[in-house]
Amino acid sequence: MRCTDCFELLNAYADGELTAEQRGEVDAHVAGCAECARQLATLTTLSQSLREGLVRYTAPDLLEARIRASLESPALQGTPSRWRVAARLTAAGLLVAIASSALTTVALRRGDDNSALEQSVLTSHIRSLMPGHLTDVASNNQHNVKPWFNGRVDLSPTVPLLDSVGFPLVGGRLDYLAGHAAAVVVYGRRQHLINVYSWPTSRDDAAPATITDHGYHLVHWRDGGVELWAVSDLGLPELDAFVATFRRAR
Amino acid sequence: MSHNEVARFEAIVLPHLDDAYTFARYLLRDEHDAQDAVQDAALRALRHMDGYREGDARAWLLAIVRNCCLTLRRKRRDDRSPQPAELLERLPARGPSTDARAIRGSDRALLERAVQALPDEFREVIVLREVHELSYKEISRVTGAPVGTVMSRLARARDRLAASLRPTQEAS
Repeated sequence: MRCTDCFELLNAYADGELTAEQRGEVDAHVAGCAECARQLATLTTLSQSLREGLVRYTAPDLLEARIRASLESPALQGTPSRWRVAARLTAAGLLVAIASSALTTVALRRGDDNSALEQSVLTSHIRSLMPGHLTDVASNNQHNVKPWFNGRVDLSPTVPLLDSVGFPLVGGRLDYLAGHAAAVVVYGRRQHLINVYSWPTSRDDAAPATITDHGYHLVHWRDGGVELWAVSDLGLPELDAFVATFRRAR
Repeated sequence: MSHNEVARFEAIVLPHLDDAYTFARYLLRDEHDAQDAVQDAALRALRHMDGYREGDARAWLLAIVRNCCLTLRRKRRDDRSPQPAELLERLPARGPSTDARAIRGSDRALLERAVQALPDEFREVIVLREVHELSYKEISRVTGAPVGTVMSRLARARDRLAASLRPTQEAS
């Protein structure tokens, strides 16, 4: 056997992938060739170091929970986009129990009127995460979502298409909170959801202000006679980016 | 979804979730993308339980994970993770010789970085071989490449790794 032939077989030799006959040939060659022997030692050590050194990750519990939850989802048989949303929803539902108890604490802790609206919005957001509560009209097409609100609320909400910047449209729904019928437009971001609430107001325009509560961020602002709230568990920089993009698109 | 199918899925797919996630982490180099890809893969596996043959559940699942990773990667043209070229720059320059002792002395971070810096087609075979400890035949099944190609990719991948693990100062 020549060195070049041996060299090609060394990896397979180190991996135990050679036949007994081929192994015998490599053994014979390596016994008399220092270069190939050194090469083999390098390969074996490299392989061993990689096996010992490379990280074997453990799947996060939430990932398994999400997968298990989606097993029970009836929408599994549907179109990809629908089961995607459904899976996301069911997963979110798992968090609702925890979040609800957190809300109770918030409600007990604060009794003032200023936070009443904030609490309504946050409660509505969390309720929307329960299976079946997110959308009345599920569509990633703004031309399906926007007309759906006609005659249902006192304004025609802005439904910009933000897919290209990573916020796919999920759908829309009607909600009633703090004495207002609100149009809610829902966007996604990876596994997170963003609810955008809007209803008419007679108050002056106001720049976006942020409230953070139990891991949820609420951004509210007023623009041209419309009160808007965007709520998500998304990181604040991303939610701010969303709000900026949303406002630009109006 | 029948109760039977769900039970089969739980028995066949869920035991390999760590493998699936690990493979996706190495392919995508991003934990969130890896989670998304594995969730997609699990659902795809569930819908294609009928395509599963007895035995070799892990290779079957890893092949699905790989497809989901490729799909996701295509979707993320503007990849957030560092490009191999950038990672390579942080590695010691290539030199004439690497011996077993130098490799043995490499720390884990360096190993990890060297693997992450490999081109996709090399990185996947190295991970399948050294982390998941699959045979050439199984790697061929996961990647769709013939066994001969698997062998030569592995050899070239290790060549690169050995070169990049050579210490900057030659140990005497």
